[in-house]
Amino acid sequence: MNDGILILSYSERVDAKTSRHLYQKAYLQEGVQDKYMNQTTSITSQRSQWPRQLMAVPAAEVIAVAATLASQYQIEDVTLPQAGLALMQLRDSALNEAYYPGEIPLASARVMLTSKDGAQYEGAAQVMHDSATFARAVAVIDAVLAGNLPGSEAVEPLLDRGAALLTQQSITRKKMLARTRVDFALLGSTEEEDGDE
Amino acid sequence: MGYVAIKGGGQAIQGAEDVLEALRTAEGEHGTPLTTQSIEHQLRLLTSRIVSEGGLYHPQLAALAIKQSQGDTLEAAFALRAYRSTKPRLLETCTQDTSRMRLIRRISSAFKDIPGGQMLGPTYDYALRLMRLDLANESPEIFREVAREFLAETPEPNLPDTFPKVVEALRAEGLLPPVENHTETPFDITREPLIFPVPRSAALATMARAETGSILALAYSNMRGYGDVHPTVAELRVGYLPVMLPHPITGEPVEVGEVLMTECEVVAMYEDDDAKGAPTFTLGYGACFGHNEVKAIAMAILDRALQKGMRDGPTNPSEDPEFVLLHIDGVDSMGFASHYKMPHYVTFQSDMDRLRTTQQKHESVKQQDVKQQDNEQEVQV
Repeated sequence: MNDGILILSYSERVDAKTSRHLYQKAYLQEGVQDKYMNQTTSITSQRSQWPRQLMAVPAAEVIAVAATLASQYQIEDVTLPQAGLALMQLRDSALNEAYYPGEIPLASARVMLTSKDGAQYEGAAQVMHDSATFARAVAVIDAVLAGNLPGSEAVEPLLDRGAALLTQQSITRKKMLARTRVDFALLGSTEEEDGDE
Repeated sequence: MGYVAIKGGGQAIQGAEDVLEALRTAEGEHGTPLTTQSIEHQLRLLTSRIVSEGGLYHPQLAALAIKQSQGDTLEAAFALRAYRSTKPRLLETCTQDTSRMRLIRRISSAFKDIPGGQMLGPTYDYALRLMRLDLANESPEIFREVAREFLAETPEPNLPDTFPKVVEALRAEGLLPPVENHTETPFDITREPLIFPVPRSAALATMARAETGSILALAYSNMRGYGDVHPTVAELRVGYLPVMLPHPITGEPVEVGEVLMTECEVVAMYEDDDAKGAPTFTLGYGACFGHNEVKAIAMAILDRALQKGMRDGPTNPSEDPEFVLLHIDGVDSMGFASHYKMPHYVTFQSDMDRLRTTQQKHESVKQQDVKQQDNEQEVQV
């Protein structure tokens, strides 16, 4: 897997459909999934990150952009948009057994867009959100972006802004870590003993 | 006296709600309503406690629950659970892997030099526990400046998004039992009653939603001597776990959001392998929603204690699954305690009738004894 594919910018994604296909093909290779999931910045090109980027910006803006797109296509719900909960399953890292620590909010939607020339494009979304309307908006955007359809350019600023906010969030968290890193070497040179019990 | 239905109870109950609201807003014209955003951020550890005990990762609603319950954690967790019971369950996620957590804190008391390093993150561990009187009259200007300054003063670090787990390093050295492949479906405590014996997944799920004080008390009993776990914290980590679900169309993993979690693995005394393999340390595991370190440590200690109890039979309360798991739920225990405030007029009337009957019998026996003593004295005279 090439790192260069992982850090494609959004505009590259729009212009280079081939790159996305390359990525999706490589994604299936062993180990690539782990590497990919560790990326939190500069990955606006991946479909798997669109929901996260859209959740980072105000929901009203996402819904408004989706409404604009809806005027260009005929939209049919493949499954009715729903808002509810998902039971979260976790694997314990001690004995490798699964359990349920609790539930998370989840909204989902799946839509079919039909363009004026009759072509159909499917989109779907699952987001940790309370609003089925928001999930449907993300699903519409998912269809437009995945099909590289007219209207993608309207979504680009939202995705870019979401990606920027997530990058900033990631930097803030890393600053918390960096500011509080324990320097044991320094401690060893100034203290006689470690603070062991 | 028989059972008498009381008229006017509804008005009194409505009045009680009004009084609660009046007290909540008692600051009057000088008051400012708490925003849920303020609660979520400024009382973030309280919010963490509620999402964990409520069993629903929804910080905004947890903050609202704290507000409406005026800070009562048991009531707030109850409200959150009540809310979750009204929502449909759309799906069960695939198994999430905590090694992908985006950390804000990771420490180990087992090693100094853990892979990736130790980072304290936000903690009160080294605080002096002195009152910060400056917060009593904190100005909004200074308040807003603090986070801004922190970000401006801290250079942008070059750190990875995730860190390796300490237990994996121990496992690589052969100090921990090898990972076994478990394919059992976990026990869903929200749909199935705890009928003992229960699998470990039921214990973990129950402890993840446990009331913090309750689970700490039982783990503390083990720490003090009613048990022999003697744990060492291999790793305690706090961070945001990306929740991955397959895209409904492509099947490709999609991040649908993230969950703040606290996770703790404790290493305990080593044991001989039943299969005559090399002895290895034993492990306890705790992980729950939110930033709840004491709870995660207590959970890990009790997990290790319960593993022993499930295998060999309990030798102390903290190793007894039934004792532990049926007494750590906040909503259950608070409900039982609170129900004693509800009218028990009929049962108490029955108690009184029995007591009076017993008293009458006691009195008649006493009178008979007195008569008998008088007769005996007359005979002697």
